[in-house]
Amino acid sequence: MLAAVASSLLLLFLVLPVVRLVAAAGATGAARLWSDAELRQSLALTALTATAATLIAAVCGAPLAWLLARRAFRGRALVAAILDLPLLIPHPVAGIALLLLLGRGSALGSSLLSLGLRIVGTPLGIIAAMLFVSAPLFVSGAREAFARVDARLEGVARTLGDTPWHAFRRITLPLAARGLIASGVVSWARAVSEFGAIVILAYNPKVVSVLTYDRFTGFGLSEALPVAAALVLLSLIPLTALRALHIEDGAAGT
Amino acid sequence: MISAAQLRARVGVFTLSDISFDVPRGEYGVVIGPTGSGKTTLLEVVAGLVPQTGGRLSLNGRDATHASPDTRGIGLVYQLGYLFPHLSVEQNVTYGAADSAFAASIARRFGVHEFYARSVHSLSGGERQLVALSRALARKPDLLLLDEPFSALDPPRRAAARREVRAVHSELGLTTLHVTHDFAEAGSLGDVAILLDGGRVLQSGEPADVFRHPKTPYVAEFLGAENVFAGGVVNEGGEAVFHSGPLAMHVAGSAVPGPCHAIIRAEEILISRAVPSPSSARNQFSGRVIQIVTVGPLWHVTIDVGGASLVAALTTYSADELALSVGDTAYFTFKATAVHLC
Repeated sequence: MLAAVASSLLLLFLVLPVVRLVAAAGATGAARLWSDAELRQSLALTALTATAATLIAAVCGAPLAWLLARRAFRGRALVAAILDLPLLIPHPVAGIALLLLLGRGSALGSSLLSLGLRIVGTPLGIIAAMLFVSAPLFVSGAREAFARVDARLEGVARTLGDTPWHAFRRITLPLAARGLIASGVVSWARAVSEFGAIVILAYNPKVVSVLTYDRFTGFGLSEALPVAAALVLLSLIPLTALRALHIEDGAAGT
Repeated sequence: MISAAQLRARVGVFTLSDISFDVPRGEYGVVIGPTGSGKTTLLEVVAGLVPQTGGRLSLNGRDATHASPDTRGIGLVYQLGYLFPHLSVEQNVTYGAADSAFAASIARRFGVHEFYARSVHSLSGGERQLVALSRALARKPDLLLLDEPFSALDPPRRAAARREVRAVHSELGLTTLHVTHDFAEAGSLGDVAILLDGGRVLQSGEPADVFRHPKTPYVAEFLGAENVFAGGVVNEGGEAVFHSGPLAMHVAGSAVPGPCHAIIRAEEILISRAVPSPSSARNQFSGRVIQIVTVGPLWHVTIDVGGASLVAALTTYSADELALSVGDTAYFTFKATAVHLC
């Protein structure tokens, strides 16, 4: 009984602020999508940069996740610790660290600038910040998705004539697909909700989280509310996608 | 041909050590061993799925020590089948097959075509094993590796599957390595028996030879030999006699005097209620029946001979004819050549 009350209280605490926000400004937020060009641009920018960050995380993170799930190699614990690092440090600190590495004053930043790639204050900076905070979530989820596929299935495929790549493509990938998509969705949602690292690396152009902050500090709560509500609605997209895939219960894998 | 010389491998804390055996081309090798003896790991090493850490493996005359699994020409069947869950039964069977007509013929032979349309998830354990067998054979492998492939089948289907596998083995000229812990299966299928325990080969050779002439008392007991005695051979007037406590039995003349173990398989002992008439069986014992039990299709009768126990096996028909009961006196006879010394 006590456990049920405690659980209910926690659930209410988690859901009530969001419900209150959407109730207060959901309709205004939706209406603002027509009238507020900056909000529309901001939403598009957020969705695009989050998608780009997720795709990079997937392309570079899937092989790493497979290695972590399948191979015992020297330094595996270190790699796992490195992946935990972005989840542990405060995100403004992550933003400062990225600024130090990719800013104009750094060797890497100036080299990239000479190639015409400006990071700070551009969508590239937003993608970098989003990638830093969301990629570990993708790798972690993808690693579990691969680990759930029994390695003996790959082994059998190898004995049936498959090369390692063919066994991966024909057996492991399809069986891990749901878990990989779920990891991508979670990674995307995390990228969309990022604020701390982005605000330091690229205040402009404004993603929705920065725009919410900007409206709040510049114009007060009433102007921030519709933008915040729009951000919540954007965040509902991956949640809906997860439900549609029936993978929120972890049914992916074999 | 599967030829292993001093093969070593490690999986976690388990190690296979100095595994040496030969299954000549076209022959049927049976690996027997208790649970955890390394049977499955051995198959995976031969398949190339578990890397060797030492020794040499040769498959059909070619050094396969570093060959990748897809180039070894093998078909592997696990006990649990390991069917691809996202593919249909038909897609599983034809997964590695170059000749779809041949794959279909294999599926028909094992009755798998009857559930071609069914989902893999709906199959019973036995059906999964048949699909896994068909999938491995549909590729026309040179070498077939079977890990308890009939364990989930009911007895009639198991017998039919055994016959079919043996037939396909002969037709395709396969070299097969079949893991089992069923001695009857080992005896009926195998041309070569390999006894494995604790990651080591205890003995290998023709099944009849291994069963009749175990190298050590442990192997004898492992193979289910009922009469294993520790003692020694002495020369008595030019004849070799084995002594163990109250038992003294004539053994083959070539026996070397000294301490050893004697093994007599229960099936080699004749049993009667009356004093046996003189015959070439030189060993005769009489004693009180202390136990009668059924072991599969046989009856095991144990008599007490001055404190030592001797076990003889007889068929149900013979048991009915003799109508022995506990407490009766019975006579056991066996030839000197039935006593195996090690």
